[in-house]
Amino acid sequence: MGWSSQQSVRLHLEMEILSRYFPTFFLKDSIIPGHAVIEGSLRSNAGSEYVVRLHVPADLPNSVPIVEVVSPALRDRFGHSLIDLGTSYPMHLLKPENGVVRICHYSASHWSPNITFSKVLLKIRAWIEAYEGHLDSGYAIDHYLPHMEA
Amino acid sequence: MTPLVYVLEEQVRDLLSQTGDIRLVDGVAYGFDDWTVFHAYTGKPVSTPSGHICPCVAIRSDAAGFVDEESLMVQVRRRLDPDGLPIVVLIAGTGVGGSPSCRALILTDEGVAGADTRYVPRRSELFSRNTGLLETSALAEKKVVIVGLGSGGSPVALELARAGVGKFTLIDFDRLELGNISRHVCGVNDLGRYKTLAVRDQVLQKNPFAEVSTMEANVNQSLNQVEDVVAASDLLIVASDNDQSRFNLNQMSLNNNKVALYGRAITRAAGGDVLRVRPWKGPCYNCVFSSGLIDGREEELSQKRQALAVLPAYVEEDKINAMIQVGLSSDIAPIANMLTKMALVELSRGIETGMSTVDEDLVSDFYVWANRREEAYANWPRMGFKWTHPSILRWYAARVDRDPDCLVCGGHLEAEPAT
Repeated sequence: MGWSSQQSVRLHLEMEILSRYFPTFFLKDSIIPGHAVIEGSLRSNAGSEYVVRLHVPADLPNSVPIVEVVSPALRDRFGHSLIDLGTSYPMHLLKPENGVVRICHYSASHWSPNITFSKVLLKIRAWIEAYEGHLDSGYAIDHYLPHMEA
Repeated sequence: MTPLVYVLEEQVRDLLSQTGDIRLVDGVAYGFDDWTVFHAYTGKPVSTPSGHICPCVAIRSDAAGFVDEESLMVQVRRRLDPDGLPIVVLIAGTGVGGSPSCRALILTDEGVAGADTRYVPRRSELFSRNTGLLETSALAEKKVVIVGLGSGGSPVALELARAGVGKFTLIDFDRLELGNISRHVCGVNDLGRYKTLAVRDQVLQKNPFAEVSTMEANVNQSLNQVEDVVAASDLLIVASDNDQSRFNLNQMSLNNNKVALYGRAITRAAGGDVLRVRPWKGPCYNCVFSSGLIDGREEELSQKRQALAVLPAYVEEDKINAMIQVGLSSDIAPIANMLTKMALVELSRGIETGMSTVDEDLVSDFYVWANRREEAYANWPRMGFKWTHPSILRWYAARVDRDPDCLVCGGHLEAEPAT
């Protein structure tokens, strides 16, 4: 089964918003629900570039999309791979899969279909700034980004 | 006391329709109250029976309506070793006007005793108490989908069966655990069973005519199958325990133009709310969710599986356990009761019944209930004798309009689906 007509309209809307605020992001493998991803790059204030991949959920827009940082391979200030940290509360990380870091942005209890991918990427953009702050100071990411109330 | 034997009319008819040699048919019976009451089956019981099991045999009388009881008893004793238990013997025949009749005998070590027999079920008697309030014959044709058969959904299923609703699809992937029992319509006899199948048996106990299908599936992982069922229904009732399933079911209700009712309890069941979604005519689930009306009214987390699904993976075990705070069954009951009443109003729409005036009253789509002055209701005044201020144990209707900016049902959609 493909996307429903409502989902197709929503996907179109998402890409329209992204083209305005995150123009490097493009849709890949969009035919089969559950396989579609949106990929692009985010540039930090310091000028570093991060390739970010957002998995479009099969039940778009009703569940939280998985977001991964595909490159560069992320390390903490002390040289350890962020993948090795696994699930990390202080670093806002979910369990990594396929060798890439997954960012915790919205929990299921805070998700709503009114949240667009653009808002999600905005949070990832904030995470990147916090990550670079961590690299400078050694403070964990949640020093810069407080957690949403569970 | 003369023993009383209940038999299924349908099974007696089946027995009488058999052709060929007249022979004994093995069945099964369940006895109660020192073997004074029996439920006897010539075939498979329609739902999980209760009582103490004992042997049962059935035979149809010949064309002249004759049965040689003495030789029959000899045959039965030769065929069965009851091990001290009574044997229920059913003799089916054709009565006045061609209607089926059934006599029952109870065979024990002491001898043979006659028993009174009653047919089950008789639809007219089952719902005789509803006359004037509900149009039972119309409800018998209505098809309801209930998602979530826990402490909220299971009593709704039972109440609708009592009202005479005839067709159900029950959806849940969970099994009954010991911790569920104190708030659930099913008991320890059903431990370990799928909630769907256990509730199906309860529904059939109340309405043996009901057609009940079940899906042991997670809505969020079986979207197409569930949507097919929703599309074929008259009403969708959502008593699931997570927003993702409610969002998905909201979309299905909109896609297929099916009215949906949503019920949920907040933490420790300090209260709850019920929402009716009339697709494209009023607010959808997402309109209400995003309106701020339910902010600060966190959903009750009643089990670890539910908490793990909504919390980030790094939340510690202690915190998860602390967040599991359940309320009493009597706290859930008002929410289930309101869901039932709203369901009966929706299912009776267009039919002149006692529910028509209730329909006139329920103009709002969103209702709030408080059980105790805590959580979201902590600042409410005490009930006392006033009825002009917010109080526990009363329903409050809230005005919620459809949100034109809702990304699910709002203006970004060029056209509503034509269904």
